[in-house]
Amino acid sequence: MTGVLQVSRVSKSFPGVKALDDVSMTLKAGSVHALLGENGAGKSTLIKIVTGLYKPESGDVLMNGKPTRFSSLREASAGGLGVVHQERNLVTRFSVGENILLDRLGKHALSAVDYASIYKEAERWLNLLDLDVDPRTPVSRLSVAQMQLVEIGKALSLQSRVLLLDEPTSSLTPNESQVLFRILRRLRDDGASIGFVSHKLEEVFDICDTVTVLRDGRNACDSASLSGLNRQDVVQMMIGRAERISRRAPRPRPQAPPRLELKSYASSAGHEDISLTIRPGEILGLYGLVGAGRSELAKALLGLTRQTAGEVLIDGKPVRIGSVADALHQHGIGYVSEDRKQEGLILLHSVLANAGITVWRRLANSLGFLRDSTVLKHVGPVLRKLEVKTPSPYQTIGNLSGGNQQKVSVAKWIAAGVKVLIIDEPSVGIDIKTKAYLHDLIHELAQSGTAVLLITSDMPEMIDVADRILVMDGYRIKGEVENSRNYDTVSKAIMAFIHAAEAA
Amino acid sequence: MASRPLTRLFDNDWIGPGLVCVIAIAAISAFQPSFLSPFNILVLLSAISVNMLIALGQLVIIAIGQMNLALGAFGGLVAICFAAVMELYGVPPILAVGIGLAIGTAAGLCSGWVIARTGISAFIITLAGLQIFKGINLGITKAQPFYGIPDSVKDFGNLAIIGPIAWLVLPMVIASLGMWVLFNRLRIGRYILAIGGNRNAAELSGIDVKGTIIWAHAISGLLAAAAGMMLVARLQIGQPTIGDDWLISSFAAPVIGGAALSGGHVSVAGTFFGVIIIAIITQALVVFAIDPFVVQIVLGGLILWAVGINRLRELRVARALT
Repeated sequence: MTGVLQVSRVSKSFPGVKALDDVSMTLKAGSVHALLGENGAGKSTLIKIVTGLYKPESGDVLMNGKPTRFSSLREASAGGLGVVHQERNLVTRFSVGENILLDRLGKHALSAVDYASIYKEAERWLNLLDLDVDPRTPVSRLSVAQMQLVEIGKALSLQSRVLLLDEPTSSLTPNESQVLFRILRRLRDDGASIGFVSHKLEEVFDICDTVTVLRDGRNACDSASLSGLNRQDVVQMMIGRAERISRRAPRPRPQAPPRLELKSYASSAGHEDISLTIRPGEILGLYGLVGAGRSELAKALLGLTRQTAGEVLIDGKPVRIGSVADALHQHGIGYVSEDRKQEGLILLHSVLANAGITVWRRLANSLGFLRDSTVLKHVGPVLRKLEVKTPSPYQTIGNLSGGNQQKVSVAKWIAAGVKVLIIDEPSVGIDIKTKAYLHDLIHELAQSGTAVLLITSDMPEMIDVADRILVMDGYRIKGEVENSRNYDTVSKAIMAFIHAAEAA
Repeated sequence: MASRPLTRLFDNDWIGPGLVCVIAIAAISAFQPSFLSPFNILVLLSAISVNMLIALGQLVIIAIGQMNLALGAFGGLVAICFAAVMELYGVPPILAVGIGLAIGTAAGLCSGWVIARTGISAFIITLAGLQIFKGINLGITKAQPFYGIPDSVKDFGNLAIIGPIAWLVLPMVIASLGMWVLFNRLRIGRYILAIGGNRNAAELSGIDVKGTIIWAHAISGLLAAAAGMMLVARLQIGQPTIGDDWLISSFAAPVIGGAALSGGHVSVAGTFFGVIIIAIITQALVVFAIDPFVVQIVLGGLILWAVGINRLRELRVARALT
């Protein structure tokens, strides 16, 4: 049987990466279809091809059996494809009703907006979603979960027969997710076809009927029924083996005195009673769900939020970190941001400028002049060591592949010679080979005496790389797990801490 | 929330500047009763009317999250064209007004089209537009004013309908009501605000972003044209320098009135009070014989104060959300 939405043997490459290779997927009416894959597996590329943002190099997208190539999202929604994007896309100053019907406020530019009928129509969709808000309420007054539902209402109001949801639960509490699922099930029973992208396997088994798994840009499975699969099977398809046994043996625990120590630390971001130590040569993992406060802790340590209680000790001496410049130049703390494009790199600038930015201050001569050759002498060896693939150091960094960009974001801290490196989600949007390389690199950094704090939501990565793992939830440390590299026992121990925290 | 109507009232953008207006008028007239004389009110209202049109011309661009540096150049070019067609070709004033509005709208269309088409920032495009339109202006006039303004036009710029209500108030009332309806009731106005508020969301909702940007600039050109011709009527000559000094106040009045410079949020009523405040400050200069530099400092301080208030309000909304 052909599906409502069918992706047939689609391929797409970007400079340096084959993002999708001969990928297929079929969404049927009256069913919920999961699209799974690790970060960088190609899910978002696939969605962008379906919605017309990217053109595939080969292969077809078929709606109701007819080859379709939307040239814009507008066309896609007119063609019956509703998309709820991961980031919020509402005009927060406008009312709920106006947001739902934003593209249908009037026939032509000078039409008067008929608010009465807009609110009436919006009410219908809100009722369908069991969302008890007045359509006149400004969106800015809603909770995140309500905004999520408003977006779904907006997609539905286009009479969409196919609804794509990109990580719809990432900002929802378990209760709110259940409400969302109840609605999705009802839409499914009414004949809608729903595509569901998520990282949370529990949810996938809870709500989805069929599944497509992508790994490394290829189909690990194409629209298989979930009823014949268990969790282990799906994980196997996602990561390529049932139990990712780490290649690395547990390392001896470094005995040197702690480089960075927090004692009952609290921050204005909301952290409370955080105690941890990292010794030189150690990789401390910080695991937690989205919103647990991990990146926020990293930013607090950089001096971006205020310390409100407790102590921060560097090499045994109490310090106060007031600014990022302080953190780097006084205390040798570096931070590889999870948001490479927004916070990590200056995309319009050269590889050289990006890698050297941390050492400009040190390399400038007594008059404050700075020459490219001076920076290159310092940064060049690091770039070569990390095997950054670029035609020249003067290449604009935005043109490099994600993996090479990530190497440069690490390189700049190595060039700066930091003593403590915080690495936040190092493998978002990079291919598996570079990922393995980055893991080796982190280990090498630790071997050479850097204290590493690794933040990742990718459990295999955490177990592969970290020496010890702290579990964080609700801006507090919930427990510590010694990493034996045994995926099963370690991941169970971590999940136990998180479940205990959620239950409490 | 309904239980705190006072807080609700103070959430309105125009309340702050409105109160400032009332207090300032009360204070000045206490010192100088002639401030509220019919003649002075007439003069004040004329100035306010022209400045309101200028402010509205900028407001519609602020609403979409851009800037129009060429606003004064539009107005200046239309002003001298308006004067020129009447003096040189004897075109009747009504028709000349139509020509002027058409030129202003066309100028706005052009700059809007270039901005939408190229995706280059409006700041740069209108900066170039400012130079180009000013250059055309000087090419036509050789920097000499046109003096042959018909009496009917001069009367419109200087006489009163009744009491102290100047004729110039009429276009201001029409434009203000029109813009209020536009921002609150018309599709185009809502789209302008939606794009200013969250361009990404507007685009993903299927709004024609480029077309809307062109519309906004055309409206801006139309309002600048009206302001330029009102000044010709008021000054009774077609001055080539008309529009040269519009820039600061065109931004100051909307911002004092609570507009977000990032776009998506404007207040027509607030802008009106912003215009009044600026007019009162300028008048106070005359009434109290204050040095002109003080006026500049006060105006600058007022802009900072207004931006600060807006920022505080944003922070409060942000805090209420988390």
